[in-house]
Amino acid sequence: MSEVKSKIMTANEAIRKFVHDGSSLILGNYTVAAAMALVYEVARQQKKNLTVYSQSGVIDVEVLVAAGCVDRLVSTYVYRGGGRSGGSAVERALQTGTLQMEDYTNFQYNARLVAGMHGFTFIPVLEGVIDTDLFRKRTFMGEDKYRVIKCPYTGKEILTVPAANPDVCIVHVQRADKYGNAQYWGALGSVAAAALSSKRIIVSCEEIVEYDVIKSSPHLTLLPSYRVDAVIEIPWGASPTEVIGYYNLDRFMFSMFSMACGDAKAMQAWMDEWVFNCKDREAYINHYVEKFGSGTLDGFRAKAFYSAPANYGAAFTSIWDGEGRERNMGVTMEEFEKFLKEKGALYE
Amino acid sequence: MSKAYTLEELLVITVAKEIRDYENVILGIGLPVAAGALAKAIYAPHATLMMESGIIDFEPLLPLNHIADANALRGFAYATDLFSAFTMAYRGFVDVCFLGVGQIDKYGNLNTTVIGDYYKPTMRLPGSGGAADFISYSKRTVLTMLGGEFVKKLDYVTSPGYLAGGNSREKTGRYPKGSGPSMLLTTKGVFRFDPDTKELYLAQIHPKVRIEDIKKNVPWDLKISPDLTETAHPTEEEINFVRKFAPAQAAGRKLMTELVIANISKKMQQKTAG
Repeated sequence: MSEVKSKIMTANEAIRKFVHDGSSLILGNYTVAAAMALVYEVARQQKKNLTVYSQSGVIDVEVLVAAGCVDRLVSTYVYRGGGRSGGSAVERALQTGTLQMEDYTNFQYNARLVAGMHGFTFIPVLEGVIDTDLFRKRTFMGEDKYRVIKCPYTGKEILTVPAANPDVCIVHVQRADKYGNAQYWGALGSVAAAALSSKRIIVSCEEIVEYDVIKSSPHLTLLPSYRVDAVIEIPWGASPTEVIGYYNLDRFMFSMFSMACGDAKAMQAWMDEWVFNCKDREAYINHYVEKFGSGTLDGFRAKAFYSAPANYGAAFTSIWDGEGRERNMGVTMEEFEKFLKEKGALYE
Repeated sequence: MSKAYTLEELLVITVAKEIRDYENVILGIGLPVAAGALAKAIYAPHATLMMESGIIDFEPLLPLNHIADANALRGFAYATDLFSAFTMAYRGFVDVCFLGVGQIDKYGNLNTTVIGDYYKPTMRLPGSGGAADFISYSKRTVLTMLGGEFVKKLDYVTSPGYLAGGNSREKTGRYPKGSGPSMLLTTKGVFRFDPDTKELYLAQIHPKVRIEDIKKNVPWDLKISPDLTETAHPTEEEINFVRKFAPAQAAGRKLMTELVIANISKKMQQKTAG
C-alpha cells in the first residue's frame, strides 16, 4: 500500500473541500455515534442551501437547521425537546417556511440508499404505507416521492422509491486507517448504505490505526479505502452522542441542548457557546473541561468489553513447505526449474 | 397487603404480559424496553428482543437511551442492519412490536407526525420512524399512549391500523392476515379491538379510574366490554424488577425530572463550595 496516498486532513479542510453550498449532505450515522464534530464544522463554515438526508435526526439535524444551513430535509424522524410544551429548530423552520421536509418511514429512507449504493435507479418498498399520508402528502419530491408499478412476474402492485445518491456523507466510526478503511461496530443501522450511496465520503474516527489492524479484522470494516475521500482523527468526535467501546451519551450536555432547542433564543445561545465559539473539537473539549471539570467527561468513558477475536488463521501461508518443496508437485525451486528446462518450457 | 406500586410500574407490568415466550419482539424506547426486560426476566425467558437499529437478541442491563443504544447491553447475539430488520418483519418473523401514539382514531390508525396542517404545522411530532412499516407487517402491534389523544379524524395518517374498520384492512391485500393493532394501553386502561368491526373498546380499567374519566377524552360513544375487568395488583416480584431496572420509568417523567433537577443543583452547589 506504499503507493496509496494518506487521506488524513483536518475537519476544517475536509468540509471546505467536499461540502459546498447547495450540496446534498447525508448524515451517515443512525442515532448513535453521530458525526458531531463534522456537523459543528459545517455549521461554523455556514454552508447554505443544503439538502440534508437523515435517517433519524436528533442533535445533528437540530444544529444544522438552527444554523440556517438547510433548505430541504429528507428524514423519517425528527427531535422535539421538552415534549408537547417544547419544540425544535425543525418545527420553527417548517412553521416559517424556511425548511421543507419530505417524510419517509425508516425502511423506505434506508431503501433509497440501498438502491443508490448498488447502482439501481429505484427499489421496491413495503407497501402498507400506500394507505397513509406518507404516500399521499408530498413536498419537494412531488410525483417522484413514490411511484407504484406492477410486478412483471406476479402482477402484484408494488410501491417503489427512487434511489438516492447524496453528494457527500459525513460519518463517524470507531477506527480507520490513513487510507480510509473505516471500521464500525454496534448498532449498524443504515450507516453502510448512507456512506456507500454517496459520491464523496468524509470519515471522522476515534482513532487512526495501522493497516495491519484493519486487515486482521475485516468483518468490522464498513467502508473500504477506495470509497473514502478524507479521514480525520477526532477523539470524542461524536459526543454528546455515544460511541460503543469509547464513551456513553453525555447526558449532561444532551440535557442542555434538549432544554435549549425548544426556544430559538436559548438555542442560539447554546449554539454560540458550543458550536460557533469553539473552533474545533479540541477547543470544545477544552471549554467543556474548563467549565465543568474533567471528571464530568471522564465519567462517560467506556470500560472495555472485548469481542472474542475471530480466528483468520490457515494451515500454511506459503505454497512452498518447510523443506522448500512445492506442496502439490513435491519439487524444490531448483528441481522445478531444471524440470522446466528439460521439457523445453523456458525461453532463453 | 401486597407491596405498593406506581401507576407507571403498573403500565410496564400490564404491557409486558403481551409478550409470550419464544416470540420475536420489536421494542421501542421507554416503556416498551422496560416491559421487554421484565418479560424476559419473568414471563418470557426465551423471547428474542430486537431493536430496528439492528441490535438483535439481547438482555438490557439498564434502560436504553434510544433505539440504537448498544451501550446499555453487554453484547448481543446478532448485529444486522436496519434494512434487514424491516425485511424480517415483512417476511413474517416479527411476532409483536410496540409503538407509541400521538393521536389515535376509532380503528387504531395512528398519527405521530404532526398536529395541525402537515405543510404548516402547529406542532411537529417525530414522524414515522419504523412505525408505519412495523404495524403493517408484525403479527401483532401493541400501542402505548401516555401523552396522546383520541380523535375523530387524525391530522395526519402516519401508520395504518384497521383503516375504515370492518374488513377494510384485509381487503387491500397489502397486509398479513390477522395483523394490526392488538391492544392500546393508556394511563387509564387497556383497550382492545372488536374482531368484526375493528372498533376499539375498553377491556380493562386501571384501579381508581372511573369509566366517565375515560369516556370524556374519547370523542365518540366508546364501547365498553361487558366483561370489563380491573387491572390486577402487580406481584412484589414484578414491582421490584421494574423499580430496580428502570427507576426513572417507575417514577414517571414529572417526578424523575424533579429529582434530576435537584441532583444537578446539588452538584453545582458542591462545585462552587469546593
